[in-house]
Amino acid sequence: MKISTKGRYGLEAIVDLAIHLNEGHVSLKSISERCGMSEAYILQIFLILRRAGIVESIRGSQGGYTLSKAPSEITVGQVLTALEGPLAPVACVAEKEDHTCERYVNCPTRGFWESIMIALNDVANSFTIEDLVDCYNEMFFQSNQIDYCI
Amino acid sequence: MKFSTKGRYGLRAMVDLAVHARGEHVALCSIAQRQGISTNYLEQVFSVLRKSGLVKSVKGAQGGYTLSDAPENIKVGRILRALEGPLSVIDENAENSGKRTSIQQCIQKCVWDKMNKSLNELADSLTLEDLVDNYYKMNGIEEDVMYYI
Repeated sequence: MKISTKGRYGLEAIVDLAIHLNEGHVSLKSISERCGMSEAYILQIFLILRRAGIVESIRGSQGGYTLSKAPSEITVGQVLTALEGPLAPVACVAEKEDHTCERYVNCPTRGFWESIMIALNDVANSFTIEDLVDCYNEMFFQSNQIDYCI
Repeated sequence: MKFSTKGRYGLRAMVDLAVHARGEHVALCSIAQRQGISTNYLEQVFSVLRKSGLVKSVKGAQGGYTLSDAPENIKVGRILRALEGPLSVIDENAENSGKRTSIQQCIQKCVWDKMNKSLNELADSLTLEDLVDNYYKMNGIEEDVMYYI
């Protein structure tokens, strides 16, 4: 059970965008350079995230992308679900009534898969993009903050 | 993000084997029939399970498979790891190839590591016996009654 490149790269690109929000609209080119992904791939990801109401695009020479909401209002779960679909270890537990498995009702393993789905979603929904930006600043820019105070 | 058919079918086949073995060997074709999985595919799955020491096989007319240990001693996590490899939401090989960016490292720590921890803890908190109990409950069978018939 793996989260695809789309989910992993998308989350990374969103955190990168959030880190650079104070620079105005962020160009795909700059995200692509910092994250080491192709611009075309990020565009593909951002089209999905725009439809999901997570990012907004601004055209023009000063254009680029920005977040539709504050980083504290976007959860990791929203980003991953937009890009990956439901965070479910097997299809039937996300489909619920729409399941296509004839063994669904009496399946002895379904409860276990459901518990995994709930646990993964709990983790994903308990973190916001702001939490990840904070974590990034703590991990890599503690020394800078000290400089600031001096 | 999905478990492979190997993990899903393998886990179901193990529950079926635990329910029907009761000290005897079970033919793969009978598991295949009950679970609606092809015998060929089950052979692949059981060859992996046998190599991992989870099931034993006996050849011959009365042959088939049986569990290597009591169902209460077999954790669901062990079955899934045998079939799927390490239980992780991220492909560790892909993630380790090349240098990871700072943001990737912080997502790893805040999100993937926590998801993996939940995943592994849940899989190791359940045994095959728990799933067998589910089977009896869901199929309206009292285990003790089954035993004495």
